[in-house]
Amino acid sequence: MASEKELSDFLKSIEKRAYKRAVYAVRDEDAALDIVQDAMIRLAEKYFDRPAAELPLLFQRILSNATMDWFRRQKVRSAVVRNFSEFESPEADGEFDILETLEVLGDSTASESAADSVSRAQILLAIEAEVAQLPERQREAFLLRYWEELDVAETAAAMGCSEGSVKTHCSRAVHALAKALQAKGIAL
Amino acid sequence: MNNSNTAPIPGGLQALEARLAHRLAARLSERAEQVPSDVAERLRFARERAVERARDARTAAEASHVALTAGRSALLGLAAAWWVRLASAVPLIALAGGLFLIQHWHTQAQIAAAAEIDADLLADDLPPSAYSDAGFAEFLKTPRE
Repeated sequence: MASEKELSDFLKSIEKRAYKRAVYAVRDEDAALDIVQDAMIRLAEKYFDRPAAELPLLFQRILSNATMDWFRRQKVRSAVVRNFSEFESPEADGEFDILETLEVLGDSTASESAADSVSRAQILLAIEAEVAQLPERQREAFLLRYWEELDVAETAAAMGCSEGSVKTHCSRAVHALAKALQAKGIAL
Repeated sequence: MNNSNTAPIPGGLQALEARLAHRLAARLSERAEQVPSDVAERLRFARERAVERARDARTAAEASHVALTAGRSALLGLAAAWWVRLASAVPLIALAGGLFLIQHWHTQAQIAAAAEIDADLLADDLPPSAYSDAGFAEFLKTPRE
């Protein structure tokens, strides 16, 4: 059973990422805060007796459900439209090289001047904007897998889908991000 | 066309994807730490509320556990009280049984006495009707000469 301190520490460690995830999903800061609070309270009330090790996966699933509940309540048409984009056929990646984006991102960690700092802030904003533009399921898979650092099986459990779907969503998300950033000259 | 630079095997491409994804995630983490102070404050409030709810839920669960244990004890106590009451009723039951046996013995004794009288009457030389005959009674009262 997780102690009160373990629960508090866990919530503190994930609250900002959870808020960002919710913002990417609903694009409304107040709603995102409500969703995160709702998820935290659901976790605390229903799973207070679970071991601390189980909390991350439980919370991710609760947060996903809370976000879906918000969409159901709001009946946001745009969310449905975004979900439909999942079924669009993937565009050909013929003129796109993921390695180029990787190299550019890798170089950006070098020591930076004030101008570099501003540029870096712009890059962060651009990345965030592109993540927010991803289709719902791709974004969720990408964030759970690489941001929350769940493994494929845990991500699949949190999303309620197969591991193969997680891999596909993640791959498409990374390619889409790389392509979008490269197109923005995030040739950074 | 930059396809010549792309990793030729799927494993290599997956590794590239993973590296890029982790770097993007690192940037997102960097960005996530920069939330406005009012948002950070609301998140802190939400966290404290959640911890408080967990405390309440834990207290309620413990209270229900205690109530359940107390209920079991009360049931056991009730069973013990039932046995004590039963034990205290034993003398009364014994008394009632004794009275019934005495009554039964008394009735049997009366029946036996009546049967003995009847047997004596039937075995006597005189017929039973002689005792109800007024003339015979007068004869008995008359002194013999």
